[in-house]
Amino acid sequence: MKQVIIAHLYPREMSIYGDSGNIRVLIQRLVWRGYEPLVKAVEIGKPFDFDEVDMVFGGGGQDRGQLLVGADLLRRGEALRTVAAGGVPMLLVCGLYQLFGREFTTNEGEIIPGIGIFDIVTTGSNLRMIGNIVVDSPYGRLVGFENHSGATVLGKDQAALGKVKKGYGNDPNSGREGAVSGNAIGTYLHGPILPKNPDLADYLILQAVKRKYGDTELAPLDNALELEAAKIAISRPQ
Amino acid sequence: MSVRTTLTVTKAATKAARLLGRGSGTALPGLIAQRLQPKLPAILALQLPHGIVLVTGTNGKTTTTKLILEMLEAHGEVVLSNRAGSNLRRGIISTLINAANMKGEIKATIGLFEVDEASLRLVTQELKPRAILVLNLFRDQLDRYGELDTLAKVIGEGIADTEADLYLNADDPLVASLSSYAKNVDKVTFFGIEGLPASGTSALVTVSDSDRCPNCGLSLKYSRIFYGHIGHYTCLTGDFDRPQPQIAITNVAVASLEKQEFTLSIHGKRSDMSLSLPGTYNLYNALGAAALASGLGLEAATIADSLAHTSAAFGRVEKVKVGKKTLYLLLIKNPAGFTQIVETFLRGNVGQNVMMAINDKPADGRDISWLWDVPLEAIAVDNPKIITTGIRGADMALRLKYAGIDGVLTTSMQRGLDDLIKAMPDDGTSYILPTYTAMLEIRELLGKITTLDEVWK
Repeated sequence: MKQVIIAHLYPREMSIYGDSGNIRVLIQRLVWRGYEPLVKAVEIGKPFDFDEVDMVFGGGGQDRGQLLVGADLLRRGEALRTVAAGGVPMLLVCGLYQLFGREFTTNEGEIIPGIGIFDIVTTGSNLRMIGNIVVDSPYGRLVGFENHSGATVLGKDQAALGKVKKGYGNDPNSGREGAVSGNAIGTYLHGPILPKNPDLADYLILQAVKRKYGDTELAPLDNALELEAAKIAISRPQ
Repeated sequence: MSVRTTLTVTKAATKAARLLGRGSGTALPGLIAQRLQPKLPAILALQLPHGIVLVTGTNGKTTTTKLILEMLEAHGEVVLSNRAGSNLRRGIISTLINAANMKGEIKATIGLFEVDEASLRLVTQELKPRAILVLNLFRDQLDRYGELDTLAKVIGEGIADTEADLYLNADDPLVASLSSYAKNVDKVTFFGIEGLPASGTSALVTVSDSDRCPNCGLSLKYSRIFYGHIGHYTCLTGDFDRPQPQIAITNVAVASLEKQEFTLSIHGKRSDMSLSLPGTYNLYNALGAAALASGLGLEAATIADSLAHTSAAFGRVEKVKVGKKTLYLLLIKNPAGFTQIVETFLRGNVGQNVMMAINDKPADGRDISWLWDVPLEAIAVDNPKIITTGIRGADMALRLKYAGIDGVLTTSMQRGLDDLIKAMPDDGTSYILPTYTAMLEIRELLGKITTLDEVWK
C-alpha cells in the first residue's frame, strides 16, 4: 500500500474549534482511495524527523498554547522551510498560520517570532473577528467559521488564499483571506475547513501523492453531502 | 430615585411591555431598574436573610441548581431562584425585582442563582453572595467568551471581589486553581471523586480543554481521567497538585441509566447516597450540590433524600413516553457534554435509534465546529441508526460520515421526529440529542402528541 505520512503539529496545544476534524478528513479521503495514511504528532521538546513527511497540518490554539508552541516551532524553522521548499503540501489554520509568518505581536505587546514561510505580520487587536466566513479561492468557494483577534497583513509579494465574500479574513480592511506560498496554505478558516471544502482537501492530497508516487489524479469520491453542508453554511448569516 | 418609585415604574413598564407583546419580561425589569436606581439589586439582595448563593461553570449549572433548590426547600428555606429566567446579570436582577413587592420586600429566605460564567463578576459585585459553587470549565460557545484561560481569570476576579465561601471542583485543574483568588484558604471547600469503577471511559479519547498546569503551562500528568480533563492530576514541576477534596465520592456501587448509588464522604463522615440521574457528569453535579448544601448546614439525610428524588432539569435527561415508546431528550451544547452523553447512553448500545438535531442560532452557539471534537468513531461499531436534522443537520451527517456512520439527513424537524418514532420497536427506547433551540422545537412538537413535565429552563 502507498503510505502517506502527515505531520500534525502540536495536536495537544493547537487543536481548537474542531481543527482535528481536518485530520479525520485527510485520513478518510486517503483511505477511501486505497492509500495508507499515517499521522505523526509533532510535540513540544520531542525530536521529529521531517524528511519523510508528505504533508503538514497545524491548527489554532489558545494564546498560552501559542506562546509555548512558538519557541519550539522556531527550533524546527529550518527543517520546515526545507520541507516547504521541497513542495510538501501544508495547511496551517489560525494560530499556526500566524506563527508560519514573520512575527506575531500579542495584545500585551509581546512579539513571538515566526518561521517566515509566509511573508505576513500579525498584530493582536481589540476586535474579535468572529462569524461565518465565505472566501472565493482558486480551490473553489470556501466556507468556514473564523474566530481571531489577530489582524494579519500580507507582504507586498505575498499571495492571498482568496477574496472575502462574507466575514473578515486576514484583517477588517483588506478583503483578503489567508496566504499561499508554493504548496503551503495558511488560513483563518475553522469550521473545520476541510470537511465542507473537499476540493481543497483533495488538492492537498493530490500534491502529496504526486510528489511521492507521481500519481496525477485521484479516484473521484461522492461529495454530495459535503457540498450540501457547504451550501447551507454559505447561506447562514455572518 | 427611591426604591419604591423605582419598583413602581419598573413593574408598570414590564407589565406594559408584556401587554404589548414585547418580550417575556425576564430581562426587561433589570434593564429599566439599572437606569433608574443602580443600587436597587444590592438593596433587594439585603432582603434575603440567609443571603445569596451562586452556581456557575460550563456544564451542569441548571441540573445542579435544581438539586440544591430541592435540598434547601426540604430544609425549610423559601428559595428565590432564576428557574425560568436568564442566567445573565439582567435576568438575575429581574428575578429579584419580580419577587419584590412595592415596598421592596421579598418573601424568600435565601437566593439561589445559576450564573453564566462570564457574568459572574458583575453579579458578585452587586449581590455580595455568601457562597459560590464552580462546577467545571469546558470549551463552550467560545464565540461568546474568547478563551478558557481568559474566562477563568474573569471568574477569579469575580471571586476576589467577595467574602463568599467557595466550593470548587478539585478534579478540574482550572477550577481548582481559582482557590488562589479566595480571600483566605478557610473559605475554600473542594469536592471530587476518589473512587470510580473502571468503565470504558478511558477508551474514548476526549478533547483536552484544560489539561495544562494553570501555573506554568506544562502538561499535567494524570493518574486517572474520569472524563474530558476531569480527574486526578499533578504537575511534574511540583508547582500544582490536585487538592484533597473535603467532600468526596469514595465509591460508586451502581451506575445505571435509572440510578447511581455511591458513598459520599462529608469531611470524613460517610453516607450512602442514591442519585436518580445517569452519567459521571451527574455525579459531579450531585457532589457540587452536596458540598454547597453541607456548607450551608444541611444534614446528610436531607441531601440524600433530595438526590434520590430529583429528576434532571428540562431537556437535560428528560424521559418522554409516546404510547409504549420511550424517548430520551438529551441536551448537547459542547464537546465535553456531547461526549458524556455518547458514553453514557449510546456506547455499547447496539442498533439504537437516535436523532441528532443541530441548530446554529445564537442560543446554540453559531459555530458548530465542536461537533468534530466529539469522538463519534467510538460508536461506529454499535451500528446506531441515526437521523440528523436541524438547520445544520447536514454538518452533523457529514461528521458522522467521517466517523464511519451513515446518518440519514432529514431537513424537517417534524419529519425527523415522525421517522424516528415510526422506526422504533413498539416498546423500544430511542435517544434525541438536540442543541438548545432544537430542543425547544422538539419539545413543542412532542407536546402535541404526549404530555411533558413543567418547564425548568
